[in-house]
Amino acid sequence: MANFFSKAEVTSSGRPVLLRSEVECHLLSSVDLEPEDHHNFSPLKSGLLILTTHRLLWLPSSSASTPTSAAAIPLPAISHIFSSKKSLKSMFHSPRIRFQVLVSPDGRVFDPGSGSGSGSGLGSRSVVLTAVVRGKGDCDGFLGKFWDSWRARAWETNETSGSGSSSVSGSGTGTGTGTGTGGGLYSSDGSVRMVGVAGILRKEQELWESTDKSLQDAFQDLNALMSKAKEMVMLAEKMRQKLLSGTNSQASATNDEDMGSKEEMQDWLLSVGIISPVTKESAGALYHQQLSRQLADFVRTPLERAGGMINLIDVYCLFNRARGTELISPDDMLQACSLWEKFDVPVMLRKFDSGVMVIQNKSHSDEEVFVRIKSLVTKPEALRSGISPSDAAMTLGIAPAMAKEHLLTAESTGLLCRDVSPDGFRFYINLFPEIDPRDVYLVKDYGICDTWIKAVSTSGLR
Amino acid sequence: MRRRPGIGGLQTAAAARDQYRLLGENVAKLRTDLMKEQLATFRSQLEEFARKHKNDIRKNPAFRSQFHEMCAKVGVDPLASNKGFWAELLGIGDFYYELGVQIVEICLSTRPLNGGLIDLQELCKLLRQKRKHDREAVSEDDCLRAISKLKTLGSGFEVISAGKKKLVRSVPTELKKDHNEILELAQAQGYVTVDEVERRLSWTHGRAIDALDTLLDEGLAMIDDGHSDGKRRYWFPCVSSISSFGADS
Repeated sequence: MANFFSKAEVTSSGRPVLLRSEVECHLLSSVDLEPEDHHNFSPLKSGLLILTTHRLLWLPSSSASTPTSAAAIPLPAISHIFSSKKSLKSMFHSPRIRFQVLVSPDGRVFDPGSGSGSGSGLGSRSVVLTAVVRGKGDCDGFLGKFWDSWRARAWETNETSGSGSSSVSGSGTGTGTGTGTGGGLYSSDGSVRMVGVAGILRKEQELWESTDKSLQDAFQDLNALMSKAKEMVMLAEKMRQKLLSGTNSQASATNDEDMGSKEEMQDWLLSVGIISPVTKESAGALYHQQLSRQLADFVRTPLERAGGMINLIDVYCLFNRARGTELISPDDMLQACSLWEKFDVPVMLRKFDSGVMVIQNKSHSDEEVFVRIKSLVTKPEALRSGISPSDAAMTLGIAPAMAKEHLLTAESTGLLCRDVSPDGFRFYINLFPEIDPRDVYLVKDYGICDTWIKAVSTSGLR
Repeated sequence: MRRRPGIGGLQTAAAARDQYRLLGENVAKLRTDLMKEQLATFRSQLEEFARKHKNDIRKNPAFRSQFHEMCAKVGVDPLASNKGFWAELLGIGDFYYELGVQIVEICLSTRPLNGGLIDLQELCKLLRQKRKHDREAVSEDDCLRAISKLKTLGSGFEVISAGKKKLVRSVPTELKKDHNEILELAQAQGYVTVDEVERRLSWTHGRAIDALDTLLDEGLAMIDDGHSDGKRRYWFPCVSSISSFGADS
């Protein structure tokens, strides 16, 4: 049955892996996917239905224990969407969305990406599928978005830009062909190429005039910008490339202003991130749940860079930056983080007594730290004179306050014991677990106790 | 160009090449200037649109991602809400959230220089630079209000008063590495002075004082005011007694 659909990739926290420039539009929960007449696959029960600009995705709900894999239907494979019939019967049923899907000769959903279908799927059969919405989702809203995405044919524009993007730095496809001469005034050995100088100048001028014009056209109103969006994105990319390379090559001409704008550019590059942010509008009631998963996926890179632990507020900034205009509030952020306990994600939220909240890797857990502390306190020097929080801080590479926190936790689990003196806190390895209560004077000639005795006695000799 | 023999020929060729190069440079310069001009138009238009059509942009997910891409590529901050009446009165709306994100961003980017401690005035100045197309300038009060919105996310971000100045601390004690550096510095003599910390680590006064105060609170440092030169010394008993230990571990 899984063979019927195209396969959809899912991240470790259960979010769909989207294609290049694919954007989520709407989500519905507890949806069944059933075949109408042909029994091509057994029905998919109560999963999450996600509509994107390119595909229709069905993810099994996390509570279901059966390992059904995520399924995908490319929108180009859909040949018809039936409008919902309003009848008395439909009022008592769960809302249904019916659509027709092209099937390639080998009995699978027609996938234009695989190239298996010859032409536009002519001669292949089609199957009617029904999505039964059992949850309380906005079914009509979904249907409307379904129509919009299907008609917008985003996958087609994507294909053309995919082939065009490689040549963006060279000749822009939208704004004239003269850009090819950019940087080409000189041949590779630095001498001037012998072409008509006047010709180059004229071309240059034409190019600038056309760019000016397209800028003016695009920014007339919002609709104009929407229809020219693709072109403008490419223009932006071209300008960025030129400005960055221009300041590099003309080292003599760099002044403060140049450097400033260049820095600004690079600054911003870092913040491009989430192409399809989860929003209240698209996810509806699933908002916090999906947000939580997206955040878990997102936070891993900054977390790695920060060494396994990062301030929650820093993540709030980075996450919002990656989302562009789709800001989330601190409350939503906190809620998303607290939902992590329910999902199987590799990160966790941690609160300190001081009220500070951080996100940390689960692998960066107490157990791992305890192992390192133990190896630290069993060194001969430390057996003799113990360790202070600052020693631990320097060897573990963490802040003293943090180190003290770890040492106190280690003490409470019985790994360490403390000595309070004018020097402050010092911690020693706890020897009591090794002492046999039936024979307290027995000294075993192995174990930490023995090493301790040796270490202390050698210091006594000194 | 036809090649002519002799020194004269070579000189003419060289002169011609120079002239071409000069022309090329002029064209290149002209091109850069023109492009900057167009980039400026592009930017201001995008900013205008981000402000005016914010809600329309958000309604269309596919266009939204393209709009973000444009903004990111030419370096426009898409966060440009006006404060507006309701934000002013009740503190609702996106304005203060946007400000909060921008404030944290400034703190993040200046952190390598100041260790996560920034003067509120300085912060305001940088914020105004970021929002230079805003009609009304952002006040210190706005900053404080935006920071208070971040309280939900824990106490990792706070405003502290040092004399007349207000400082914003963005790195909580638990994650701060400044203390380690002071401890390392103290290993040589067993103590440090504020001057020494500022000079050796090239920190600002505020940063040094803040770090030393925290170490005092933590019980790691002790004050000695009794020295003849009148400078306060911060002793670190924990490092001085076992200075050999820290080195070999």
